[in-house]
Amino acid sequence: MQQDQPSCFDDSGVDEVLDELDGQTEEAWAGSVPRGGGGFLNAVGAALRRLLLLREISVLAATILLFVGLSLATPLFPDPENLLLVARQISILAIIAIGMTFLFIAREIDLSVGSTYGFLAVILGFLIAKWEVDPWVAVAITIILGACIGLSNGLITTLFGIPSFIVTLGMLSILRGAALLLSGGWPMLIRLAPDHSFLTVTAGRAFGIVPRQVFWMAELMIIAAFVLASTRFGAHVYATGGNEEAATLAGIPTKRVKVICFVITGALCGIAATLLMGQVRSGFPTTGTGFELDIIAAVVIGGTPLFGGAGSILGTLLGAAILGMITNGLVLLGASEHFEPVAKGAIIVGAIVVDTFIRRRRQ
Amino acid sequence: MQDQVAMEGVPNPVSAETRVQPLVELTNISKAFGHVQALQGVNFCIFPGEVVGLVGDNGAGKSTLIKIICGAYRPDSGTITVDGQPVTFNSPRDAMALGIATVYQNLALVDQRNVADNVFLGREVERRLVLDKRRMLEEAAQVLRELRSDIPSVQVPVGLLSGGQRQAVAIARAIHQVAARLIIMDEPVAALGIEETRKVLRLIARLRDQGRAVIVISHNLEHVFSVADRIVVLRRGRLVGIRRKDQTTAAEIVRLIVGAEHL
Repeated sequence: MQQDQPSCFDDSGVDEVLDELDGQTEEAWAGSVPRGGGGFLNAVGAALRRLLLLREISVLAATILLFVGLSLATPLFPDPENLLLVARQISILAIIAIGMTFLFIAREIDLSVGSTYGFLAVILGFLIAKWEVDPWVAVAITIILGACIGLSNGLITTLFGIPSFIVTLGMLSILRGAALLLSGGWPMLIRLAPDHSFLTVTAGRAFGIVPRQVFWMAELMIIAAFVLASTRFGAHVYATGGNEEAATLAGIPTKRVKVICFVITGALCGIAATLLMGQVRSGFPTTGTGFELDIIAAVVIGGTPLFGGAGSILGTLLGAAILGMITNGLVLLGASEHFEPVAKGAIIVGAIVVDTFIRRRRQ
Repeated sequence: MQDQVAMEGVPNPVSAETRVQPLVELTNISKAFGHVQALQGVNFCIFPGEVVGLVGDNGAGKSTLIKIICGAYRPDSGTITVDGQPVTFNSPRDAMALGIATVYQNLALVDQRNVADNVFLGREVERRLVLDKRRMLEEAAQVLRELRSDIPSVQVPVGLLSGGQRQAVAIARAIHQVAARLIIMDEPVAALGIEETRKVLRLIARLRDQGRAVIVISHNLEHVFSVADRIVVLRRGRLVGIRRKDQTTAAEIVRLIVGAEHL
């Protein structure tokens, strides 16, 4: 039974080589044991990690650059009140962009967010103004309805295997039409006592300084960033977008993960509509027209790739901040308002070019 | 005739007196797809601490056989026993529950995620609803250390690793998630360079040394001979030979694969 007679392929030579190799590996292990937790990364690991972070770092660098540039261009820009205004202006966009970030990471898209937001604003106005529902009950209904819209987007996409691009394009049209039909084209104005809890929670300032919209944006972003980075669901979102087949084989319910991402996005549209209602106290049926493009722009500028599996809420916040600073800066500098879309478009393409460049260099 | 071939090949890795129970044993397995008889009356067994090379020409039934073992297919007839107990696998999950894991040919890794995330893919460790990243990193590092893998850090995205390192991650997942006792590898070195191939073959030997059973499908007889204890040959859905590596030659295996003795 022992290897007396050499077989056709005498593998003893191979084994020697392998043993030698093994020895080398053991040395390597002794020198650089991979460490978990807060351990010390060896130089290679650290370098790779730095490369990985490059995406977020480049977005942060662009944000700082823009901030410094605008501050030098006009002293009005770095004024704290102006910065709070910028933050307030981007807050609703950033809130919906949270959902879009989840979808992008899971390799899906929702083009209906602008329409959903506008439709829900009309619904909320309708409930409070026409049906005289208690504002908080109306808010709950609005957010649940938003979640249901997301649910239907998600179910149609995953159950029938239709690209979400198409499904949500249809939903975009349906909901815009529904908003106009429901309102007859007129804004839904609501009248509430100025000290009503609905208004003090959705408008005004928290701690007398931070606009409420900014406060809620920060809350939601912190929660979302935590969910993505530190929960099992977050890990499943990344895995689903990174390699759906692998995720499915590993027992991750990828379809359910995607549907939940759509539901989150829909519910966030409901929250966004609520904050808008607190701010302007009316729901216009044309609210959010074309908003989906700004939202996608924020996510893409923030470094979340179009191919799924990566991205972060911090990046999306920075992306939204860049968009907000451009809009604000152009106004302060007295540029034509028609120049804004030109600047935005150029930034989006520039961001994608930089992202592609980084990706190439990483490979 | 078929039985004779099977009996002749059944090994006894310890001694003649104490017959060790096979980890997995398949008896008289048949499987047809429409009119195509993919497997016909095949017997197969594998013992703990053994590497079996499964060889055969394209369409010989290798893939069908491993898919039956890993629970992806149900045989039309025949029995499967694990630890001597008859079992029925309705899905790969059932097989996994008994410690049978498959390392897929495409490796099924998420390139953007790091090594630890991939080792724990789908079975992330939570503590009070929060991912226990520290534990995942440490345990992943531990498993890879046991495999003597040369992966520099478990925080590296898998997409940046070499083919052999990716193989190690896929195997680490099988070992860690399933506590795999039998690991099925379909063409594990097909896409690898020479150096990487050696590392993976060494890895397979290490799995055996840990007392695990490994089934390796490969078209490369040199690889099969360098790592397998036993070689099982299929031809046109039938078992045509089981040989101990040290009692056969590549020429004989090739003859069995192509059926030259019948010509």
